[in-house]
Order: sequence, then C-alpha cells, then structure tokens
Amino acid sequence: MNTEQQTTNNEQQSVKPDDGLIVLKNLTRRFGNNVVLDDISLAIEKGKTTVVIGPSGCGKSVLLKHMIVLMRPTLGEVYFKNKRIDNLDDQLLTGVRAHFGYLFQAGALFDSLSVAENIMFPVRQHCQITRFSAVEELVRNKLKMVGLDGLQRFYPANLSGGQRKRVALARAIALDPEVILYDEPTTGLDPIRADTINELILKLKGELGVTSVAVTHDMKSAYKIADRIVMLHHGKIIADGNADYIRNHPDPIVQQFIKGEISKKELEQLHKASVGSSVRLPCDVED
Amino acid sequence: MIGTTIFKIGEEVGNIGQFGRFVWRSAVTGMQSIAKSDTYPLIWAQMLAIGVRSVPVIMITGAFVGMTLAIQAYDQLAGMGLEEHLGVLINISVVKELGPVLAAVMLAGRVGGALTAELGTMKVTEQIDAIESMGTDPVKYLVAPRVLACLLLTPVLIVYADLLGIIGGWFISVIHLHINARAYWSFSAYGVDLWDVACGIIKGFFFGGAMAIISCYKGFNCKEGARGVGQACTDAFVISFISILVLDFAMVVIFKSLYSIFWPLRSLVG
Repeated sequence: MNTEQQTTNNEQQSVKPDDGLIVLKNLTRRFGNNVVLDDISLAIEKGKTTVVIGPSGCGKSVLLKHMIVLMRPTLGEVYFKNKRIDNLDDQLLTGVRAHFGYLFQAGALFDSLSVAENIMFPVRQHCQITRFSAVEELVRNKLKMVGLDGLQRFYPANLSGGQRKRVALARAIALDPEVILYDEPTTGLDPIRADTINELILKLKGELGVTSVAVTHDMKSAYKIADRIVMLHHGKIIADGNADYIRNHPDPIVQQFIKGEISKKELEQLHKASVGSSVRLPCDVED
Repeated sequence: MIGTTIFKIGEEVGNIGQFGRFVWRSAVTGMQSIAKSDTYPLIWAQMLAIGVRSVPVIMITGAFVGMTLAIQAYDQLAGMGLEEHLGVLINISVVKELGPVLAAVMLAGRVGGALTAELGTMKVTEQIDAIESMGTDPVKYLVAPRVLACLLLTPVLIVYADLLGIIGGWFISVIHLHINARAYWSFSAYGVDLWDVACGIIKGFFFGGAMAIISCYKGFNCKEGARGVGQACTDAFVISFISILVLDFAMVVIFKSLYSIFWPLRSLVG
C-alpha cells in the first residue's frame, strides 16, 4: 500500500441488508492479485440518485456490475430488497434483473437488430404480447422521451454516438424498471446532449420515482443529478455525502478530483519528461 | 518455476471445469428450447445462416473429394484389372469417412469461425452483458439456437456432401475414364451398406455439436479487443478440428465394435 492510500480517509460505514434498496456489504473484488474493490459497504436509498465518482480504473463500473450481479464478488454480499442476490443461480437472477435497467458505457446495442427491435427486446423477453401495435406504441413513447422518435427502422451502425446512447437509455427504461444503473451516461456526448441525458435522469426520478445509480467522472453532471455522491479511490470509499459536502470536502484527493487539477508532483514529472526527451529517431515524416 | 507450473495446471483444470459447466448449461437450455415454441424463430434464423447458406460450399467440397478419389485410385485398380471396383472404393470412402470429416472441417471454418467472431464481438462490446442485465439468459438466447442448428443440420449437410461426392466419383469414373456404368453401380451397391451411410450421418451429430459448442464457448470467453477476438477464432477452429479428428477415431472404434456384435459373420468376411 502506498503513502497516498494510507493517508486517505475512509468514509466507509457498516450496513445492514435492510438499509437500502440495494446493499453492498463488505464487498471485495479481486482480479488475480489486483484488488479493485476493497471491503466496500454501501446502501443505495430507494427513490434517490446516487452518483459514484472516481478516477478512471478505480472500479466504478465493476461496482455497478456487482449491483446487478453481472460480476460476482470475491468476498462480501449483495442484497436487493433485503434479499441476498449474489449467491443466486443465473435462472433465479433473471427475475431479479427484470427490476433493473442498465445503461452501458458504449450503449451495448445489438447491432443485428434495428432501433425498434432493440427497445422491444426486454419487452419480448418478459411480457406476453397480445397486440403488436401496443408494443409499437411503447417503442414510440420511449423514443419520444429520448427525442429520437422516427429512428425506429435505423440500425445502430447508422447512428451517432449520442444517438446510440439515447437509444440504449430508451431500451433501459422499456420495462419501467425500479432501478436504473447508468455507466458513464454523459461520456462522449457534446455538452448539450450530455445535459439532455441529465434532464432525462431527473425526469425519470421525478415522474416514475426511479432509484438511480450513476457512475461518472463528469462533475457537472454529478452535481446536477445527485442526491448523494460517493467517491471511490484505490478500491475504497473516501467521500460520501451530498453535493455541498463533496464540494467542501477536506481531503486533497477529493478536491483535486472534483476540480480536475493535476497534482504538483505529477506536473513536475510531466515537465521533466518533456524537457528530457532528447532522443531523436530517424522518422520518415516530411516537413 | 514450480509455483508457476502449479498455477498453470490449476488454471487449466479451472478452464476445463468452466467448459464442462458451459456444455451442461447449453445442453439443459437446448432441451428447454426444443420444448418451447417461442424459441423456434431463433432456431430457424440460425438454421438459415448455418445450414442453408453452407450448402454450396459443402456440395463443392463433396464433389471434389469424389472426383479426386476417382483420379487417384484409378491407376492402382486398373493395374490389377479391378477398375470396375472403383465405385466401391470411392463411395465407401466418401460416405463413411471423407464426406463427414471434410464437411465438418469445412463447417468448422465457415460456421465455427463466424460463431466465435460474432459472439466474441458481442462479448467485448458488452452486448452479452446487456442481454444478461435485461433478465435474459444469454446461453438460452445465443448459444442454444446455434448449437441446435449445428446439431440438426450438420448430418443433413453431410448427406449433401455424400451425394455430390458420389456424383463426382461417378462423373470421373464413368464419363471421363469410361468404366462400365452397370458394373460401377453394381459393385458399389454390393460394397456400400446402409450401415456405412448411417455411420457417416451419425458422426455428423457429434461433429456439429462439438464444433458449435467449442466455437460458442470461445466466443463467450474471448479476451478484450480485436486481438482477443482473432485469437478466439483461431483457437476455436484449431480445437474444433482436433475434436473432429478425435471424435472420428473414437466413433470408428465404436462403430466397428457394434458392427462385429450385430453382424459377426459379415465382419469376418469384410
């Protein structure tokens, strides 16, 4: 463990299975010798939006995947509605996962299906379809919500990155889930589209009372949508509170992250590297 | 050094266990898919992609196997004055061994490679995770239809390969080398049993099943990036190819033993 880790404060709290809608209890996840999540305990409150922030590679997406048991913990427990779910077999998990919507970082749309078929996918899997026109109406409604009505026949390959993300969001809300998990919802979008996604998240919370967990390093988005912000660093929770608490947090690591500033030490290393790069290789590049 | 070796052995044992679980899950969900009519559209779609679209390439493979055998064997048999027996040699080789094995190898390349690449790309772009996150079993949705389509259609494709192999052999022997057609077919009918044809077709079930399950497993467990997908496709083909050869050997031994049990006298004569 390095010095930086030793000096960071740990805002980890002990939790009980009934403390929230989703509860992670003493969760540890290792990949080989690499400890990505280190004894994390976190309770997600019903009807609230929790935002998980942290530098790239700190285990935010891994944490999100454990909430829906797309990954199983090395140690620890995961609870949904006071029921342990990390030890359920895949068939039993199917029923649990129907309560969730998941927006993947790159959308994860099925490229062999059209936009309409992508949104219909969870409906076809979980609902008895008696009238196809009702499903078409549902698809139109969901696409209207994300501002993409009319693109039903398009394929993901024909859409821009932002459009793909919004179609993925329409698919995630197709079954009106109780919980929506957002993995980097605004990454790769222009500021206006990013704000559209933020407004959509707020709308879903306001109109449907959806419980949301978003993983992001977009602080503007985090401040806008979050009821609670949790910061991960080296696999541990180092800050946990509302937007004002995080803004005024005393930990320099938290301050550095939320302000998006490079540390003095890293800046010095960067300058040294640029000055010291005296090696010239014979390259075939014309002036 | 010893620690690394032990770790690698442990890892391989773990991989075999993981493969065993995958085969079991695929078998169970495959059975469930047969019982549920709502999965039939998925199976039909895979049958079209895997079976129907493989027919031309399988027919070409079969035809050239028959033609090549005829050209190769003619000189040896003609030297002994046995050229009219050419039909037996060609047809028994085609229906029992070369037709099924070469058709299966061709399918491992055409279909197995495509299955691994498709599922591998779905894995690295999180599409398989997306299916799981929506409460659908990806093995049921992606693997079972593909395995069932391969299992059911590989024997049918072998029949096509056999048919074209027989026609190819006949074309070279009778039309090109002017062997008496009546003698050619009489000796063929005498030498090739329904048992021989059945052996080749039964092999098809095992070849198709093994090739499909190995290709799907490699796709589901492929590593990140374009290199990971490429490596998974290569592994899938090599392992499928070796599995086809091993299964072929095992089934030849089993079928020979069964033949000796059912027709002891004929097996002695043969």
